[in-house]
Amino acid sequence: MARSNEVNLNECKMVVPLNTWVLISNFKLAYNLLRRPDGTFNRHLAEFLDRKVPANANPVDGVFSFDVLIDRGTSLLSRIYRPTTAEEPQPNIAELEKPVTAAVVPVIIFFHGGSFTHSSANSAIYDTLCRRLVSLCKAVVVSVNYRRAPENRYPCAYDDGWTALKWVNSRPWLQSQKDSKVHIYLAGDSSGGNIAHHVALRAIESGIDILGSILLNPMFGGQERTESEKRLDGKYFVTLRDRDWYWRAYLPEGEDRDHPACNPFGPNGRSLEGIKFPKSLVVVAGLDLIQDWQLAYVEGLKKAGQEVKLLYMEQATIGFYLLPNNHHFHTVMDEISKFVSSDC
Amino acid sequence: MLRYDSTSSSAGSSSGSLSSSSSSSSSKPPQQDIDGLLAGAGYKVRSSELRQVAQRLERLETAMGNSPADFSQLASDAILYNPSDLACWVDSLLTEFAEPPPTCSSDFIVDPVNNQTVVNSAWTAAEPHTPQVHQNITYDEQQSLDNQLTVVTAMEEDSGIRLVHMLMTCAECVQSGDLSLATSLIDDMQGLLTHVNTVCGIGKVAGHFIDALSRRIFQGMGGGSVNGGSAFENEILYHHFYEACPYLKFAHFTANQAILEAFDGHDCVHVVDFNLMHGLQWPALIQALALRPGGPPLLRLTGIGPPSPDGRDSLREIGLRLAELARSVNVRFAFRGVAASRLEDVKPWMLQVNPKEAVAVNSIMQLHRLLGCEQTRNSPIDTVLSWIRGLNPKIMTVVEQEANHNQPGFLDRFTEALYYYSTMFDSLEACRIQPEKALAEIYIQREIGNVVSCEGSARVERHEPLAKWRRRLSGAGFRALRLGSNAFKQASMLLTLFSAEGYSVEENEGCLSLGWHSSPLIAASAWQAVPAWDNHMSSS
Repeated sequence: MARSNEVNLNECKMVVPLNTWVLISNFKLAYNLLRRPDGTFNRHLAEFLDRKVPANANPVDGVFSFDVLIDRGTSLLSRIYRPTTAEEPQPNIAELEKPVTAAVVPVIIFFHGGSFTHSSANSAIYDTLCRRLVSLCKAVVVSVNYRRAPENRYPCAYDDGWTALKWVNSRPWLQSQKDSKVHIYLAGDSSGGNIAHHVALRAIESGIDILGSILLNPMFGGQERTESEKRLDGKYFVTLRDRDWYWRAYLPEGEDRDHPACNPFGPNGRSLEGIKFPKSLVVVAGLDLIQDWQLAYVEGLKKAGQEVKLLYMEQATIGFYLLPNNHHFHTVMDEISKFVSSDC
Repeated sequence: MLRYDSTSSSAGSSSGSLSSSSSSSSSKPPQQDIDGLLAGAGYKVRSSELRQVAQRLERLETAMGNSPADFSQLASDAILYNPSDLACWVDSLLTEFAEPPPTCSSDFIVDPVNNQTVVNSAWTAAEPHTPQVHQNITYDEQQSLDNQLTVVTAMEEDSGIRLVHMLMTCAECVQSGDLSLATSLIDDMQGLLTHVNTVCGIGKVAGHFIDALSRRIFQGMGGGSVNGGSAFENEILYHHFYEACPYLKFAHFTANQAILEAFDGHDCVHVVDFNLMHGLQWPALIQALALRPGGPPLLRLTGIGPPSPDGRDSLREIGLRLAELARSVNVRFAFRGVAASRLEDVKPWMLQVNPKEAVAVNSIMQLHRLLGCEQTRNSPIDTVLSWIRGLNPKIMTVVEQEANHNQPGFLDRFTEALYYYSTMFDSLEACRIQPEKALAEIYIQREIGNVVSCEGSARVERHEPLAKWRRRLSGAGFRALRLGSNAFKQASMLLTLFSAEGYSVEENEGCLSLGWHSSPLIAASAWQAVPAWDNHMSSS
């Protein structure tokens, strides 16, 4: 039973700056147009509406980017972002994959959000975010353009994440000078956070070392309707109905939200006790309706004895990390920077 | 495969280049007021408008609140334009889905808005679209895209990278005049080629660049026209390029769609094609016109092409074939061929445009040939654009390579071309049909040769990126017509039907581009002449 729209919209506008409100409301509006009740998705219109930016091998604010085709079979592209160095402020175009020179260079494999359905690695909002991460962490960022639902359901996104992980791990030019290994972090927002978790899971027996996972408002769920879902449904840009739609679009047909992809510590989940799982930084927005699931995820990690730090941002809504115009943004960015540099 | 496509615009100045139909005495350029954070997200909204946009979003939300399902259906049917311009985007949706917004006060709209109605139109590919009105809002399109480089790589074979390195060093030597070093590099590279797979990938395209550099060095600058092939040969190669990959199909498709819409409501229409070739573009338009509700117009087609040396009148032959097709679908049709070896030799009187007819000027990869090396006042491009404007066409469709191959510095040009054509060759790998693929490669190879080894009037492949064309055409008294979501969808569908995975269509402020693996290679746009009394630009 939704409260009147009027009240919702006013409350919403009081917790975010106006331009953020316009941005996220516009997304919400556009996404409403794209999701069809029968579960299909208007992909053409989605691509038409998505604001994209090209890669740029000319540095802007000390960061340059280029795209790499990681897997020809699935047309899996990734956008690589690198910092310029004092010695080489202008990269040579024939040497974009020149070896990193610092003793330790974190490589962050980033999975963009969009509820498994929207956005791309070259979406403007994610290009901006990745560039920030480079400057912030003095890292190389690899943003993976994974296949999306509903055209490509579970486990395609995880498969693509895994392919990207193996690719990154095997690049000689990404190895830190100190130990000739690639120092890998996984990161993602919304569905990207979910993907980061599952890729980390897949990496467990592989021998690929992941130094940490950064999950920004990660997308988890379950069959049960939690208190936060009931309380916050429709109030801050997101509705349960749209969450349900995206899970139906991503999960295998006929599966419910207790599928482990959606609910990793639920009835069909797997305990991580005794497993060598990377340390996690989990950011939860206090006005995100799925926070109970995100908090349950953190609990699940803790119970299994895994290292996890929770950042609970009380007055934050979804997407707060897209524009640097609020204090949650800066707090989180600081924490990310500390998290990534702590093994140097 | 290393590939790179750069959009660097050295001139970069935008201060005067507001759309030429600016109504203002208010000289504040809208950019200064644009919300910087939203601009980073790809949206242009003026800070002063934010509150209004927010209010309209709210109204839309309320309107949609009751039956969101209906709106996805409506969205499927509507034709939508320019999502970057948030204020107008939201208004068009409001008009579409809810009651119209209160009249916009004129101080935040740059240009007079004709009519913001967006019309429902079915998605069927077979039927021509007949929207009633175009959203003709022009927008200052100066972007901070100056000096941008897009690179996509797919392989790290050492020898491939070394080859690229050497190519660039060689080009640098050529630029600085160190021909003996350049020559020895050519030898080294040819040696290296034997270690690299030349059947596909960087090896193949590198071979063509080595040849082109070689020719340049040994013939001296201005050495011969590489496109030594006859007009007949060029047509054959073009035809195979058309078949082997979707670039030309995209160009024709998109242009035809826009022309069809522009001709809506007109009974006498006249298409002027700047490069007829085999007339590949026109059967589809003729058929679409035949199916037009209310019946087809009288269609005149004037095809420009090179003269045939051997007494054949190839233009006329193609005209006859098209006439035959038109007759078979009951479209009254008249054809006229204009033989000219260069586009700048064509004079408007040769086209015999009738003042009562609706004219469409169609230029598929022709305008760049007019750029010449002299930027004089009456350069060919200015002359031609000027007489086009004089025809007052309903629409001018422009398709150009999305590349920066006309920079004065040889090394820059060479580097751009290397990456651009690597991408294009890479995309051609997906083609399985022969001899189309082989001949398409020769077609591209000739372009490479022209860009790299020719100079002066012999260098005709002077590609410039869309951002530059936008400025040039706006400055010449044209304003952009938006290509909307239906054209986008049709282009996407075309790709799925005809092509391999890896191609993508992108929308960019009303223009569409087709690219391979996120790098745009060809861009399509549509234009209309601004009426003279609206033009506040000082005459050029």
